[in-house]
Amino acid sequence: MDIYLPIAEVSVNAGILVLLGAVVGFISGLFGIGGGFLMTPILLWMGIPPVVAVASEANHVAASSASSVISYSRKRQVDFRMGGVLAAGGAVGAIVGVEVFRWLRLLGQADLVVSLSYLIFLGLIGGLMLVESLGSVLRQRRGQPPAKRRDRRPVWLYGLPFKVRFPRSRLYISIIPPVILGVFVGILSAIMGVGGGFILVPAMVYILRMPAGVVVGTSLFQIIITTSLASILQAGRNQSVDIVLATLLLLGGVLGAQFGARASSRFRAEELRALLGLIVLIMGIQMGLVLFITPEDPFILVGAGK
Amino acid sequence: MVTPAIPPPDIFVPEPGPSVSAALTDANVRVTSAFSGAQIVLYGAVFDPDTRPSDVVVIVRGPDQPIRIARKVRVAGLWVNSRPVVFEGAPGFYMAASSRPLTEIASFSTLRRLGAGIDHLPMNAPEEERIETRYGVRDVVVSRLGGDYLEWRRAVIRLKEKASLYATDHEGVRFVDRGLFRAEIDLPTSAPIGEYQTEIILFQDGEPVSRRARTITVEKAGLERWLFLFANEQPWLYGIVSVLIALTSGWLASVVFRRR
Repeated sequence: MDIYLPIAEVSVNAGILVLLGAVVGFISGLFGIGGGFLMTPILLWMGIPPVVAVASEANHVAASSASSVISYSRKRQVDFRMGGVLAAGGAVGAIVGVEVFRWLRLLGQADLVVSLSYLIFLGLIGGLMLVESLGSVLRQRRGQPPAKRRDRRPVWLYGLPFKVRFPRSRLYISIIPPVILGVFVGILSAIMGVGGGFILVPAMVYILRMPAGVVVGTSLFQIIITTSLASILQAGRNQSVDIVLATLLLLGGVLGAQFGARASSRFRAEELRALLGLIVLIMGIQMGLVLFITPEDPFILVGAGK
Repeated sequence: MVTPAIPPPDIFVPEPGPSVSAALTDANVRVTSAFSGAQIVLYGAVFDPDTRPSDVVVIVRGPDQPIRIARKVRVAGLWVNSRPVVFEGAPGFYMAASSRPLTEIASFSTLRRLGAGIDHLPMNAPEEERIETRYGVRDVVVSRLGGDYLEWRRAVIRLKEKASLYATDHEGVRFVDRGLFRAEIDLPTSAPIGEYQTEIILFQDGEPVSRRARTITVEKAGLERWLFLFANEQPWLYGIVSVLIALTSGWLASVVFRRR
């Protein structure tokens, strides 16, 4: 059934959107990520204007994250204090990001920055995840002990002022690194239409040294706050949230997320990470490819300035 | 005193000499959630006591929409967009249908005067222009695009044609019977909202002898209209509502699944 989207002003198949929402929601529940990095490029390929895709996707990410965060919270796997600190940074980042995106659109460079961000961040993180997790999968197969994790926590994390206790994460660190991380992820969420889980999760593990058990839940919690805010800001500043599009996506998304969360217990953590790394890497390369291929038409319409 | 006989307005009285008349099957296009473009048929008739050879040109012009176009340039091995050029005065939709190629119907200057045909669309990029004194002549309009101006303009038209927003159809006006013609207007899904000015021009011997104007209104209707107005008139409330929908449905799904 084709449906005309009131803000995007294009006609799309509603069934396909619900199905896509469900598939991405499943992946989101399976890996404990928002899934925006998958959905936003798909929406762009379907012909949804970039501005609308990015803004509406923030809404969809908020929904599927809310759907899975509650089950993490029941298992006491959310560090609300750390999530709050990250989200405070995220809020600042989202405000900055929405303005940056507005400015980039006026310069006609929004497409370039979106493609570049995907290529750099997804390519880098996907590649690292893939290498790291394949390594540990191989070591397990050979019966070698897992690589020793460097437990020595970096000095700079402890030398900084404004130290706060995070009991759930068993950390006593300065709030400066998480706030900066939050700002950075907030900017990305506004520009790329993603929650930023694919950056937050590794950063929490490798930079903040949080225990693996609370990382995913805390990341989802911060994503809900950041994307909700980004969504309201995009609607308020750019009038670019398509409520029909977002609702169709989240119909499938919230259900898919539940099934994904259940399926996740059937896989080993390393294998899941390897798979996620592969998906992230492929998306990054796919989005970045446009920068290298000679365009069919040297001219491009960059959207009427709204 | 004899009052002049004024004919009732709904009865067509042919003017002396050749004239053209036309009607649309649908002058009001409602964009609802089921909208997937529209086809409007224009019927018309040529009244000519002398039955001279006649050509009909139908021009549909949608609401003006500034066009932002960029050129892909290669910088350090990467294809990036140049600074966009804004063209003003270009319609968001344009169709020129005729019974013969326009160039065979009338001269260049006549077509230019009437703005008939894509080549005669008054479209320019004012931000790129500046007024200079050249060779001692004052107030000469110079475009930063220089000789490339035509290439940019052609690109605008090419891209708009690809999106089915601009069209030229040399056989778009077909005479179905003596003096009776029809033309089809295809509005794509991306057709802009607003008033479309439709002009029907009758040409004889290369000169426009009769003209008629009709208006098509494309407007959002029903839920689409309501949501669009909501998003634009109360954007912050709209944003909050959409986030509440998202969070509530996420919470609901997790509650429902927990019960099972």
